[in-house]
Amino acid sequence: MRKYIVIYRSVLMENLQYAASVAMGFVSYFIIIYIFLKLWNSMYAEPGSLIAGYGREQMIWYVMITEMIWFGARSGAVTRQATADIRGGNIAYQMNKPYHYALYILARYTGEWSVRLPMYFVLAVAMGLVMVGPLSGFGPFAALAAVVSILLGITINGVFKLCISLFSFWIEDTNPFQWLYDKLILVIGTIFPLEIFPRAMQPFLKLTPIYTVCYGPAKLTVDFTPEKFLEILGAQLLYLAVGLGAMFLVYGKGVKKLYVNGG
Amino acid sequence: MSTGVKNQLRVCALSVKYNIMREMLNKVTFLTNTCFMMLNNAAFIIQWLILFRLKGDIGGYTMREVMLLWGIACCSFGLSHLLFAGVFSLPELIIGGRLDPFLVQPKSVLLGVMTSSTRISAMGDLAYGVLVMCVFCFSVKRFLLFLLFTVTGAAIITAFALLMGSLCFWFVRGDVFGNYMVNAMVSFFTYPDGIFNGTARFLLYLVIPVGMAVWMPVHVMMEFDAGALFSVVGFAAGLSAVATAAFYRGLRRYASGNLMEARV
Repeated sequence: MRKYIVIYRSVLMENLQYAASVAMGFVSYFIIIYIFLKLWNSMYAEPGSLIAGYGREQMIWYVMITEMIWFGARSGAVTRQATADIRGGNIAYQMNKPYHYALYILARYTGEWSVRLPMYFVLAVAMGLVMVGPLSGFGPFAALAAVVSILLGITINGVFKLCISLFSFWIEDTNPFQWLYDKLILVIGTIFPLEIFPRAMQPFLKLTPIYTVCYGPAKLTVDFTPEKFLEILGAQLLYLAVGLGAMFLVYGKGVKKLYVNGG
Repeated sequence: MSTGVKNQLRVCALSVKYNIMREMLNKVTFLTNTCFMMLNNAAFIIQWLILFRLKGDIGGYTMREVMLLWGIACCSFGLSHLLFAGVFSLPELIIGGRLDPFLVQPKSVLLGVMTSSTRISAMGDLAYGVLVMCVFCFSVKRFLLFLLFTVTGAAIITAFALLMGSLCFWFVRGDVFGNYMVNAMVSFFTYPDGIFNGTARFLLYLVIPVGMAVWMPVHVMMEFDAGALFSVVGFAAGLSAVATAAFYRGLRRYASGNLMEARV
């Protein structure tokens, strides 16, 4: 475990040097939130109205939290680096090192979001307070539950994105699959709480990463109940276990197919 | 048309042709990129279906208008990235001092840069845009207008990217600002203009030209207005002229990186 902590720390220190570059991404976050603020404002034409049980403030805070996760978890390690290592043959050097390649990438991923996420968190809170005001009913228990859920959600997201990148052992370009996964999270997960979807679709959506990566953390922030926390925590732990199992399986099968042309 | 112009156009056409042929060498990658980009765009239909289930009219748009908006946005973006993807890499070329190979060619530097690469997933955008237009709101007149506005939209996107990219001739971190402006334009493309008002709406029509690239064309296609049509065409031509002038003005400040590299 110590070696992964060393990798994590080195990536963390490296990324701290580029904190200013991360801050430049705030413009994109601001634009997206501005668009959704305007969109939801036009949806909530009458003051005090509810959509799927959510008030206007809750809905906008929901989007802010999910977008914070989305922007905070952006990583080159689980996508570009893993794909380039496999396609370029660099993995042949790395698989001989005294660490597991997939866990090495996850340690790098954690180092990356450890810098980005707190920065986006500060921005999201500041924008939320200015644009919609404080969230009613948000207390210390909700904050604690939301933090645990956000950290688990981001880790699950990294594991699944890495699983997709590991398919580079078989296919040349995994970008299209990353797009589809991103769209699933971005289009359905970040904008709408599950309750907005038709009742028949909700059980199906609970089985997708949307539930554990976006919905869970945002729901606990805007509408915390202890029962919901236990339900979401259970689902996240189960999802993480399945994701890690799939990751080791895909990697194990993939490296057996590896051939290097020298160089 | 003079022989010089004909030759220049021929060189551009050949450049684009060979870019596309190079990208199509791997058929599987080409097909997956194209199909998945179409799926990628189609995913947003779910978003709008849900929103329109909650409210029938959003910012004065119904599902039909939103799909038309998507059609024009995808086709314009696709055409721009298929023919002139090189313009989106302009900041890297300027900062890295890698414009030299284009400067020594006996043809237009700007067109050489613009047609130097292609993004093959743009084929998916183009195909999706046409498909959406035909499925949701087809009529012959509307389709002809759609083709015209695809060209003006692509011209506006390309010119705006060129203008923003050219900032790198003057400012060291001009690439960061330029990229954000271009990305901002794309982010606003697929949302109805009716949800924005006041200063934001003004900025989105004239500073970040989303309004002239996609919103006004949608209004013209739904309710024909010759004045608005000419405004769009004029704006596209004007912005292209300004961007071209900015590029050549900035080119005088260009400093080579003396980089030795082989272009294959």
